Amino acid sequence: MPLRFITNSERFLKIIFGLTLFVVLVMGGLAYRYVKELTKSIDEVQHNYEVHILLEKMVSALKDAESGKRGYIITKDSTFLEPLLTNSDTFQYSLAQLEELTKKNPEQQKNIEELRTKVEKNLAIFQKTLQLANNNNIDSPEFIEAFKEGRRTMNSVRFKIKQMAAHETNILGTSRAKSYKNLNNAPMVVYYVIILSLLILLLTYLHISRSLKILKEKNELLETFKKSTTQSEIISKHGNWIWHVEDNIYEYSDNLYRLLGEEPQSFEPNLENYLSFVHPDDIEKLTQHVEEMKENEDLPFIHYRVIQKNGIIKHFKAYAKLLVDSDGYKRLLGTTADITDEIENYRIIEKRNLELERSNKELSSFNYVASHDLQEPLRKIQTFLSRLEDKEKDNLSNNGQLYIERIKSSTSRMRSLIDDLLQFSRTNKSEEALADSNINILLETAKHDLAEIIADKRARISSDSIPSMRVIPFQIKQLFLNLLSNSLKYSREKTAPIITISYSRTNASALPNVKYSKYYAYHTITIQDNGIGFDQEYAEKIFVLFNRLHNKTEYSGTGIGLSICKKIVENHNGYITAYGNPDIGATFTVYLPIT
Amino acid sequence: MKHPKLHLILADDDMDDCEFFMEATDEISDDCKLTVVNDGVELMEFLSAENAELPNLIFLDLNMPRKSGMECIPEIKSTEKLAHIPIIVYSTSLDHTVVNELYQLGVLHYIQKPAEFANIKRVIEKALILLNDVNLSQRSREQFIIQP
Repeated sequence: MPLRFITNSERFLKIIFGLTLFVVLVMGGLAYRYVKELTKSIDEVQHNYEVHILLEKMVSALKDAESGKRGYIITKDSTFLEPLLTNSDTFQYSLAQLEELTKKNPEQQKNIEELRTKVEKNLAIFQKTLQLANNNNIDSPEFIEAFKEGRRTMNSVRFKIKQMAAHETNILGTSRAKSYKNLNNAPMVVYYVIILSLLILLLTYLHISRSLKILKEKNELLETFKKSTTQSEIISKHGNWIWHVEDNIYEYSDNLYRLLGEEPQSFEPNLENYLSFVHPDDIEKLTQHVEEMKENEDLPFIHYRVIQKNGIIKHFKAYAKLLVDSDGYKRLLGTTADITDEIENYRIIEKRNLELERSNKELSSFNYVASHDLQEPLRKIQTFLSRLEDKEKDNLSNNGQLYIERIKSSTSRMRSLIDDLLQFSRTNKSEEALADSNINILLETAKHDLAEIIADKRARISSDSIPSMRVIPFQIKQLFLNLLSNSLKYSREKTAPIITISYSRTNASALPNVKYSKYYAYHTITIQDNGIGFDQEYAEKIFVLFNRLHNKTEYSGTGIGLSICKKIVENHNGYITAYGNPDIGATFTVYLPIT
Repeated sequence: MKHPKLHLILADDDMDDCEFFMEATDEISDDCKLTVVNDGVELMEFLSAENAELPNLIFLDLNMPRKSGMECIPEIKSTEKLAHIPIIVYSTSLDHTVVNELYQLGVLHYIQKPAEFANIKRVIEKALILLNDVNLSQRSREQFIIQP
């Protein structure tokens, strides 16, 4: 989320920049418009002022002419006529100027035309009055009429001028009102725009400061990552490198130098320097691989050796991945690991495997020797003994016969020892495949094999119904056989053996002495007897090969039977426990995983 | 003995065992003719001779020099004129896998050489009586091993 925020913020900043640019442009445009408005307004005032002056000038010239005319009529002094002489030109000039000034205003132009005719008429009357005055016709009605006419036209000129001035003032008024309205809004608009700009600025500031904070956090995270990478490089004995293919620039991590037995960054990271460490036999392989790496995106691991400066040979394993960015720029990201220890371990394991294989072979040939070559002479001793007994018994003394009995019991003991040992060594997992088996039938078969001794001892055997399981049938039968014969063998004197076989299920967590189990639950078969039992102290010991709790003259037995039981149960990933109570009985519990 | 004269072959390299076997058959019946060979090669030579007097039953030891009993069985079973002759393996060891293999190969019975001479007599007797069965086809796995 925060990272996306930063990528978004780039877009955000672009938008803000565009917005700011727009606001500045708007502000500039507005300022330009207001200044122009102001200039226009000033021009208008100036224009108005000039028109007024011209009009005033004309009025005062008319007044001068009138008063000059009157002065001349009274005094006949021609100096009074001086203003009159210049006035005609003044009017023409002023009118021309007015025309120029108001050429954009058709109404004023019309007014000027009217004024011109009026002024000319006035001037004509002026001349006429002056002529009449010169001829001393002052009292004539013609003169009086002309004089009055002059005053009327004079008034009409004045009126027209006033009208024109009023019109001009009027125009100025409207245009001023308009520009006042515009200019009054100006400070407000500028104020708003400035507020808007400040808001944008504030927003930008907040955004940038947040981005910076996130960037800082990310930087710290990166720094942590970098440290942990460095640490993991050292612990797992690997180094990282980057090859910028186009620029042929290499970057080696510190630990890569350490793997080569060098100080970090102690030589320039390039292929040539690196190859100087590589074992001469592996240089060709490595350089070829490096060439391939440029093209192939995904190459398998490569193994090669390096020789450190102190002469120690190390085994390296390297992997690189080609990264091509959107501009087509190629970079190889590589990891090189020191696998010397692994290889050494592997060699040790290989050696041990070979040893194991050899000793297994020896063991199986021993099995063969035991089964055949040892049994054969033994069997023959027994056969000859039986022949001796059959044919020569009468020729032997009592002692001789006793010795024969002793030899017989020794040989039969030797025979059962060899048989049991063979049984034990044959109880291998690989020998038989697992099969869904009816355990009740296997139990019955075992009982059948022991039928004779069961009958002899008047033993009573009761059993629960046991569900089918996936087992090695022959071994489970052997298990029952051994456990039952064990119970029958170690029965109390003068007490008929009672053997109870019960079935239940046990959760893995409830297993005694088992902390971790990969199965959830176990089939639990319990074989309980009322025999001589044993001290709980020996509960573990009785499963150990050749371990016997009793003298062999008291109870026959090789000390192998229960070891076979343990081996069978372990072949099935199960557990077997024993619980003994001297002179009360023993309980053997077999746990087989429910799969 | 009621049954006609039986011809038995014993293939065994152990001289003592051969002697015990001969003594036992002598004691069981006068009507038995026993031929003894001492290895697999000898056995095959005897059986494949042109005017061979083919036996009614072969007692075969497994562990023999030159050619083992295990090698002889498929050879006999694949020879047309010999395939019908029942084979009883007579061996020292009792190896579970070996026994299974023999059963698969079509051997009639398996006898582990007993230690007591009386037992030797007993198993041979049992084997001969079983041979009198009308049905000589293979026995079930449970009956495969002859116990004394």
